[in-house]
Amino acid sequence: MVPDTALKPDEGGERARERADAGRLQRLNILIGALSVPLFVLLWELVARSGIVNIVLFPPPSVVAVAIFEWMRSGQFFLDLTASLYRVTTGFMIGAALGIFLGIMTGQFPIVSSLLSPLFHILRPIPPIAFVPIVILWFGLSETGKLFLVVWGVFFTVWLSTHIGVQKVDRGLIRAALMLGTPRRQMLQEIILLGALPYIVVGLRTAVSISFYTLVAAELAGTFAGIVYRIEIAQQNLQTGQVMGGLAALGLISFAADRMFAALAERTVWWR
Amino acid sequence: MQPGHRSKAKLSLAIPQPATATERREPAIQVSNLSIVFDTERGQLIAVDRVSFDVPHGEFVCIVGPSGCGKSTVLNTIAGLEVPFEGEILVEGLPVHRPRPDVGMVFQQPHLFPWKSVRRNIAHGPRMLGKSAQQANAIADDLIAMVGLKRFADAYPNTLSGGMQQRVAIARALANQPRVLLMDEPFGALDAQTRAVMQDNLLELRDRIKATIVFVTHDIDEAIVLADRVLIMSAGPGRILRQLNVDLPRPRSNAILLEPTYLALKKDCLDVIRAEGLRAFRQSDET
Repeated sequence: MVPDTALKPDEGGERARERADAGRLQRLNILIGALSVPLFVLLWELVARSGIVNIVLFPPPSVVAVAIFEWMRSGQFFLDLTASLYRVTTGFMIGAALGIFLGIMTGQFPIVSSLLSPLFHILRPIPPIAFVPIVILWFGLSETGKLFLVVWGVFFTVWLSTHIGVQKVDRGLIRAALMLGTPRRQMLQEIILLGALPYIVVGLRTAVSISFYTLVAAELAGTFAGIVYRIEIAQQNLQTGQVMGGLAALGLISFAADRMFAALAERTVWWR
Repeated sequence: MQPGHRSKAKLSLAIPQPATATERREPAIQVSNLSIVFDTERGQLIAVDRVSFDVPHGEFVCIVGPSGCGKSTVLNTIAGLEVPFEGEILVEGLPVHRPRPDVGMVFQQPHLFPWKSVRRNIAHGPRMLGKSAQQANAIADDLIAMVGLKRFADAYPNTLSGGMQQRVAIARALANQPRVLLMDEPFGALDAQTRAVMQDNLLELRDRIKATIVFVTHDIDEAIVLADRVLIMSAGPGRILRQLNVDLPRPRSNAILLEPTYLALKKDCLDVIRAEGLRAFRQSDET
């Protein structure tokens, strides 16, 4: 009994201390997290200005900021942004629609799958960038060629995840729906499509980043406006600040797109 | 007409019309000479071997047997989910080729549509048969009250306990007012207390819906508590060994588990099963 009671206050103090320590550690982590980017920018500024590196090739963030400001003020940024976003979103929509449609067809109907799956599996591993030369031959520098590349990149990812999703729909749900007299069309619309949705959404999210990769290839292939196009032009003029500004813009846009899509996905398949 | 009045009228539809003299002679389910063969890697496997039985209108039949004896396969075939290798199945006098809305089924897992609320899960069947959303919801609400889930009408399946989910599954199967209700170990995944409550609920429900019920289980106690008649099946290949009439008074509840008549019945069942188990054991020893 005696050692028991003797232990208690000590133990309580220990716990309180541990809790306080854990709280302090958490606050410290948040603080360090908030400092991560500013510290990096500061270090970058110092290194760029110190003279160890060539300031033309490695401009400090202040120069990059000025370049971005100029880019925006001239109105060119807005044109570049809309051109790039148009390509990404249109290409994504077309590729995703095709991918979902054909994924349901191959997932649901063995005949369609026998016909198309071998072909798709051969074409799928070819990196979309490898198609740039032939796209230029086919479409020249037109928008169609750009869209083709993005659609190509998005399609296979979405097709494969939809195909797998349809095949993985819980057989029990299908049997239950059959017993309730669900006709073929409703089965496809209600049970198969919604049952496969978690897989489809994962495919679509992967396709968001793929559409940005292919955008880079598409715009490097030659165009007249676009974020990546602006980066290339700036590189040719040795405007390194502008190059880095373009990279930052591209990073921010694809980050925002991914985050938005993740939030949307969570709401779409909320029952998961 | 008052809403309450209308819903009562709809409920009465769930009760099959009183059978006429000719109907009464014809059983609700006729299984004749049913054999089911599966293709496996080691050749063909006879899962069910020439099984025949009839179920009269309104009867509650339990099929008991060890796992793998083909009792679920028999049920799936009556449901039209599986195709017989040989033999014929008539439900309400009509041969079964595919799932039919006058045959309802409850599976071991609830298999509720996770993206639909309790009400919309139950309304699914009537909707598919062409009822308006309003009509289907009215049917669903009646059944929700019947299975005691009024508070959970708008809840989604992932927020319900296993027992509640299975109650929704039963209500959903009843929403199309089936003449025949098939149940494949519906309480097998539940804990003992919940299972006992569910059995009592099912007995109450059964008095109200008056459908013909075929209930598959491996639990002898469950079979005797619920059934008018118990069919005992053997494994490999599945055959019907014995039929036992359960002449225990109704309304029943789990309380009969201790009565002498009950225990005598259970002893009969166990004797049949033990003899069969020994035979199967010797057989497997020889081969």
